[in-house]
This record gives sequence, C-alpha cells and structure tokens, in this order.
Amino acid sequence: MSKISRRSVLAGAAAAGATGLIVRPAIGQAQYPSRPMTMICPWGAGGGTDATARIVAQLLEKDLGQPVNVVNRTGGSGVVGHQAIASAPADGYTIGMLTVEIAMMRHQGLTELKSTDYAALGLMNEDPPGVQVSASGPYKDIKELAAAIKAAPPGKLKASGTGQGGIWHLALVGWLVAMGLKPDHVAWVPSNGAAPGMQDLAAGGVDIVTCSVPEARAMIDAGKAKSLAIMASARNPQFKDVPTLNESLGINYSVGAWRGIGAPKAVPADIQAKLTASLKKAFDSKEYQDFMNSRGFGMKFADGPGFAKFMADSDTSMASAMKAAGLSKA
Amino acid sequence: MNTVIQAFGLVFQPDVMIAIVASAFYGLTVGALPGLSATMATALLVPVTFYLSPIAAIATIITASAMAIFSGDIPGCLLRIPGTPASAAYTDEAYAMTRKGEAETALGICLWFSALGGIAGTLSLMLIAPLLAEMALSFSTYENFWLAMLGLMCSTLVARSSPIKAIAAMLLGLLITCIGIDNPGGVPRFTFGSTDLLGGIEVIPALVGVFALAEVMRSLTEREPPKLENRRLGSILKGQWELTKKYPKQQARGNLIGIIIGVLPGAGADMAAWVSYAMAKRFSKTPEKFGTGHPEGLIEAGASNNASLASGWVPALLFGIPGDTITAIAIGVLYMKGLNPGPTLFSSQASSMYALYIIFIIGNIIMIPLGIIMIRLASKVVGAPRSAVMPVIMIFCAVGAFATAGNNLFAVYCVAIFGLIGFVMEKNGYPVAAMVLGIVMGTMVEQSFVTSLIKSDGSILPFFSRPVSSVLAAMTFGALLWPVFVWTMRRLRTERPATA
Amino acid sequence: MLLSDRVTGGVIATLGATAFFYGSKLPPVPGQQVGPSAFPMVVGAGLVLCGVMIVLGVGRHFEEVAEADVVSHSTPEELEPLPAWRNWLALLPPALLIFYALVSEKLGFLPTAAIMVLTASLAFGARPKLAVPLAIIAPFVINLIFLKLLRVPLPGGLLPFPW
Repeated sequence: MSKISRRSVLAGAAAAGATGLIVRPAIGQAQYPSRPMTMICPWGAGGGTDATARIVAQLLEKDLGQPVNVVNRTGGSGVVGHQAIASAPADGYTIGMLTVEIAMMRHQGLTELKSTDYAALGLMNEDPPGVQVSASGPYKDIKELAAAIKAAPPGKLKASGTGQGGIWHLALVGWLVAMGLKPDHVAWVPSNGAAPGMQDLAAGGVDIVTCSVPEARAMIDAGKAKSLAIMASARNPQFKDVPTLNESLGINYSVGAWRGIGAPKAVPADIQAKLTASLKKAFDSKEYQDFMNSRGFGMKFADGPGFAKFMADSDTSMASAMKAAGLSKA
Repeated sequence: MNTVIQAFGLVFQPDVMIAIVASAFYGLTVGALPGLSATMATALLVPVTFYLSPIAAIATIITASAMAIFSGDIPGCLLRIPGTPASAAYTDEAYAMTRKGEAETALGICLWFSALGGIAGTLSLMLIAPLLAEMALSFSTYENFWLAMLGLMCSTLVARSSPIKAIAAMLLGLLITCIGIDNPGGVPRFTFGSTDLLGGIEVIPALVGVFALAEVMRSLTEREPPKLENRRLGSILKGQWELTKKYPKQQARGNLIGIIIGVLPGAGADMAAWVSYAMAKRFSKTPEKFGTGHPEGLIEAGASNNASLASGWVPALLFGIPGDTITAIAIGVLYMKGLNPGPTLFSSQASSMYALYIIFIIGNIIMIPLGIIMIRLASKVVGAPRSAVMPVIMIFCAVGAFATAGNNLFAVYCVAIFGLIGFVMEKNGYPVAAMVLGIVMGTMVEQSFVTSLIKSDGSILPFFSRPVSSVLAAMTFGALLWPVFVWTMRRLRTERPATA
Repeated sequence: MLLSDRVTGGVIATLGATAFFYGSKLPPVPGQQVGPSAFPMVVGAGLVLCGVMIVLGVGRHFEEVAEADVVSHSTPEELEPLPAWRNWLALLPPALLIFYALVSEKLGFLPTAAIMVLTASLAFGARPKLAVPLAIIAPFVINLIFLKLLRVPLPGGLLPFPW
C-alpha cells in the first residue's frame, strides 16, 4: 500500500514520540500512521487480556501520535476475535492481541486459523499456570497433593479454572501425564474463567485450580486459597514463595498462557518494523512495567521474528499436549 | 474516626469532584442511548482512568455505572425502549404510565427509588460486607442452578399474557443461548460452519432488536398516537414522598433482593430487576393492575437494580470475584491503581475504602438533580415529531450494537433479525421480555447444571440436600406450579356456573 | 403479521422438534455425564410441548383479559384499522439495517446513515423540509458521539469524518 523508505520510518519513529498529537502528517499516506488505529482484543472487557490490550494501546498511542482504539470482539473462546484480526485490511491500521488460544483452537477443530496467518509484531507477556488449593484443605505442599492425587481413584478429585479444553485444563492434563497418570485422573469442571473457578475452590466445590497465580491472587490474599507450585522453569519474582514443579517434584513441565500483538499477514514490512519498535518501547516503559507488576503479570518480550518462532514452538507443544490429553480432533 | 476524616479529605479534592460530575453526565448519556449498556459505559472509561488518581479513577467507575443504570429507564418510560438490559423488565409498565399521562410520576419513581436503592446498597456494603461476602462464597454451582431457574420462572410473572406463551418465549431465548461454543463442553452447536455463530448471540443485539427496532417497526404500522407531551413535564419529584410512605414494604423488598442478587457472582442488575418486578406482582394485593401503569412494580424493581449495583462490589472488594460485568472491570482498575482486592484492603487502606463509600453516597445523591436535568432534556425528544425521532433511534440500533460487539457487522444483522422476531412475537401475544430473560439466563442454567453433575459424580442429590439449595429448589417448584394452580382455579370458577 | 395461534404454535413445535433432533446428534464430551446434547434436547422438548398447547388454545383466557385491558386504555382513533399495505412497511427498518451491514464499510458511515435516515423519515411521512436536514445533521452528530465520547471508530468509506 504505502511506500515508505526505511529512513523515513526511523525518522518517523523518532519524531512520533516528540510530536505527539499536535502535528498532523501533511502528505496523507507518506507518514504512517496518519489516522486512528484499531486494536482488536478477542476477550471481554474487564479481564486480564483486555487490561493488557488497553495499556499497550495507550502506550502505542503515545508513541505513534494517533489514537489506538481497543475493540472487544469476543466469543467462541477467542475464535471470533482472532478471525477478525486475520481478515482485517492489511494496511497497518488494524492490529490485534493474539493469545495462546491461537496455538490451540486449530487442533480442536474449531478453525483453520494458525499462528502463521499473522504478521507477528511482538510478544508482551507470559503467565505460567499455578497449582492452587483451598487454604483450609489437607494439602500442605505440592508433594502431599501429588501423593494424594496418585492415591485417589480416577475422577475422585476435581479441578477447575477455565472452560473444557482451555489452557489451564491443558496445564492440568500435562502435569498428570508427566506424573505418569491418565489425563482424566482428575476430573475437569469447566468454568467461565479463573475467578468463578477460584470461587468454587473456596466454596469447596473443587479441589484444585490450575489458573495462573496472579488470577488467584485475591483469594490467596483473602486467606481462602494457597498456591503450592507454578508450572514454569523459574520462580515468579512477584510471588517468590511459590516453588516451581521442577524444584519440588522434579517434573520439568511448563506451559504458559501468553499474549502478543499481531497484524494481518500482508501488512508491509516497514510498517511491521515500525510497530515492533513501538511495542518494544512500550514494553520497556515505566508505565507498562508498573502496570504489569501491579497485576502480577509475567513480562516477556520478543520482536517480530522471535514472536513468530515462539508461536510456532507453542503450536507444536500444544499439539502434542492436546493429543496426549485426548482433546485434539486432528 | 481519623480514617473517616482522611477519607473525606481524599474525596473532596478538585480532581475527584470533577471526575464525579463529568462521569455522571457521561453515564447518564450513554445509559439513555438504546443499545449502549452500563457495562459498555464502564469499559470505555478504563483508558481514561489511566490518567487519574486512584480515588478519582474509582469515582468515575462508580458514578458512571450508577447513572447509566438509572438513565436506562428514561427511554423506557418515554419511548418504550429500554436503555439498558436492567430496565427491560419494567419498560412496559413505565410506558403504560406515560400513556396514561403520568410520565413525570413514572420518571420520578425511577429516579427517586433508584437513588434510594443505591444508598441502601451502599449501606449494605458499609455495614455487612464481610457477612454478605461469606454468603456469596457459600454459593456453589448447585445454588446457582436454582437461582437461574428461579430467574427463568419470573418470565411467567413479568408479562401480561398467556403463561404458556411466556414459557415458549423464554424457551426460545434458551435455545438462542445454545448457539456457539461457549457451553460447558466447548462443542460448537447450531453454528453451521459460521465463525460469527461460533461466538454465539450476545444479549445486547438481541435486546436492541426486540425492543428498540421492533418499536420503530411497530410505530411505522400505526397511527401517530395523540400527543401527550405537548405540555411541559410537571415536577419530577412531586408525590414521590407519598409513594415512599405508601409502599414501604415494596421498597424494602426491592432493596433487599437487589442487595442479595448483587452479591451473588454471575447475577447482576438485570436479574435483580426481573426478580423484583415478579416479586412485586406476586405479592401485590392488586396484581391485575400490573402492566397497566401501576407504580408498585416500578418502585420495587427500580430500587432493586440500583441496590444490586452497590452490593456487587462486596465480593469484588473482598475476594476479587466480580458480582457482575461492571465490577469485573472495576476489579481491573483497582489492581491497576494498587488497591488490590482482599480483606487487607479494609484494614491497610481503610481511608480509601471509606472514600469509596462516600463516593457511592455522593453519586446517588447527585443522581437526583442531574437526573432531573437529563429527564428534562430527554422529554424534548418525545415532543419532537415521530418522523424525526424514530429514524435516529434506528441508526442508534445499528451503531450501538455494532460498537458493543467490537465493531462486528454481524451484530447489525442480529438486530435486524431480532427486530423481525420481536415484532412478530409482540403482535401475536408472545412476551419478548421473557425471551430476553431466557437469553440472559441460559448459559448460567446449563453451565451450573453440567458442572454440578461433574462435581457430584452424576448424582442429583446435592441439588436438594444442601441447605440453601433445598430452599431455592422449593421456591422454584412453587413458582413453577403457581400458574398451573391459578389456571385450574379459574377453570373451576368459570365452569361452576355453567354446570349449575 | 397477526397470525393464528395454530400457525405460531405449529412453528414453535417444529422449531423445538428440529432443536431436539439436532441436539441428539451432538457428540458427548469425555468426563461430562451430561453432554452438550442435553440442553438443546430439553429446551426442544419444552418448545414442542408449549407449541402443542398453544395450538390447542391452552392459556388463551389470560390473553383475552389482557387484550380487553389494552382496548379500554386506547383512544378510538388508535384502534381504527390502517390500510393493509402499512403492515408491510414494518419490514423497512430491518431492511435498512441489512443495507447498513452490506454497504457501510464501502460507502462509509455518514452517507449510509444519511440514506437510512432520509428513507425512514420519509416513510414516517415527514416532509422533505424536515427529512433532508435531519439526514445530514443526525449522522454527523452520532458519528461525533461515537468517535469522541465513546472512542468507537465508525467506517470511513468514501466520506470519512472530517476530524
């Protein structure tokens, strides 16, 4: 669409921050972006993904000098929003938040969409699953819980945290398989997200919730639940006391929910480069770091090619995990 | 006491005051536009709160949501088009009052009892928050199932129509919620390969279609009704004090039901209004007057939806569990501003908590003068010729649904189709409010039923054996059998003279 | 659009039967006693039951009371029948919405909404003196509200919003 030399991109990137909202580009398309942009968020207002999308949009707006409007295109476990991002006009004025579901839903037979259908712009965040139990329950640490799971008859213990076949369900299944158990050894109770799952944990309806620790945080602070472990390679500095599965059980299983920014595949390379640079700037900003820390969200950045590779890896690992869990249609 | 003084200091800052007044006007405007819900008004404030101090940020959310819930009643009263889903339960009643020439009384009831309900909800938040939160926490999926069933039973009570047709309309709503993959099994149903159908039918486009667009359609086929509003609206608050004294029981019950429903996760202002309206009719001495412009139901339901709004903050503040979609957004803002939900918030940040209560009270008090201004402005719209108002409402139908669905044109098709459905249903005596109720409650019914059975390993015993569950179950069966009982009684009464 | 209870009841029963049949074909989900087929089947069965009862005229009595009430609250002019073609005019608003969905992205919000307002306003019997200015001003104001107050970008198309 627009022909922009690399130099003008660099100049634009440098100038955009300084000029802000005041200066309007004189020659229409010459300087991207010349009009308001849209960021599609596949999840509803109020959730963690929405909050992340809105802070990123805010920082992009500051850097690019054009309004970045977040629209929540929800439903269908994220399929609807991801579809909308892929099929938007590839002019760089519509970008969107890609979430871990893009690596999953294809294997469930819900859509043909895959991570390579997008121009990857930047990975912004990754949260590993945790293992939460009721504070008044009998399990003191992850070893006790693991022993109790192994001793219990299949289906006796119940776990929750997201819908059937969602990321936290997959986390549970992966952990069970790594312990040498059947994927349905602990029965999965589907819920509309982490908060209702945590509530049911407190109400005594389920035994385990495998959502991320930041999502469980309020209940933990309220003394109703405790986090026994996280399924990650390293501890989260925000929650230093929670050990990893590897250090406590010797199981090296890690799977995470991630969020990044993508655009339709055919967006010109120079616009992609400009957006990636702007995202990097946003990621490094104090506002972003403060915001993510305040919510306890994990921060992880990767630029365009890095994010593309990250998504491809995620797709491969999800495919095998879902196959093992019997959640895969393919 | 010191913390209270500190709290007043936090609230009476210029930036907080400006935030309250500005977001009040914003909330009143968005709530009064058909198709734009209180949830959307709140979600759109999130980027603004980035720039504000913590107290000002919370103040915008509280004020805007309270104003939007009230102001959703205005187009309901004046045009028979509910501004937000929370007003849908009693729109017909309010409009019937307007047709009788009592527009100012109807609007006054909505305003006055909304404010009182909001204050009652705030008091519950201040005085018994921990107690209410414990109650909310003891609600598991079994209780949620009965609660949803009880909500569905209201469909036969809200409408003045054949109960069979009301149930059919409600079931139609339930069938609509089957569309998509947002069901406990995550299995696509009734999607026919369409990505948009995979996402299911949202409440807002359906609501806008059956209420707003169908109303535009209906008025095209009818004569312009004789002008009622050529005169200036009289005093809005006149007579409200008398009504307050006349219906104390209705009001107390509305507040109480609103508070309880608000606290429960997953049920918000919409459901509170429906249940309260149905309760008012069920326990009224003159149920036959309902639907003809009778204040009782309006008082109870108008108070209830605003009360639920405040009490919805209880589980949000104590456990980070959203009572409804508005508090879900509020929780995000709380985290962002370093006011992490949890019981420690009440001890470590007590002054912030008191500040929050004060904002709630201020918000509900200024609702009265600002609401009157809004009503006066809105009543000008009714005085305008129908040929100017209706086309503009039609555009709002399209754009409002488009915007709430994340700029998805599929929502516009939904509005068009639901307009047709609503129009045909209305003409043939099927209450559309019952169908909307089905759409609102459907997912909760199925989700709570399926997950309960997984947890109980397939046994239905816990649905009846848990204490709260058993009470709710008994109430549900009572509500289910009531119309059958009434019908049989009527039959007996009408047949007796014939045989004798 | 006033149909007999036999027709509407029949439509509801057929819809219920279809939902029941479709639901019964849905696959079960491992680990869930009640699969995704149960809810559509229960709702479908309920619709069939209601549909049959409506065809048989059960509960008609309640409606007669309500209708009598509406009549007693209306003025005689309102109840005078209108010519039959007016009924078909009801199809105009949904048709205009579908028109919006089809062309707004190409044409832009302002022209699309202007055409819709003009058509609808004339259909309501407005004089061009009212309809034309309304069709120019109303879309502009609505666009302003959505873009500036609600931050929702509306399609620009051929005639984007000036600011």
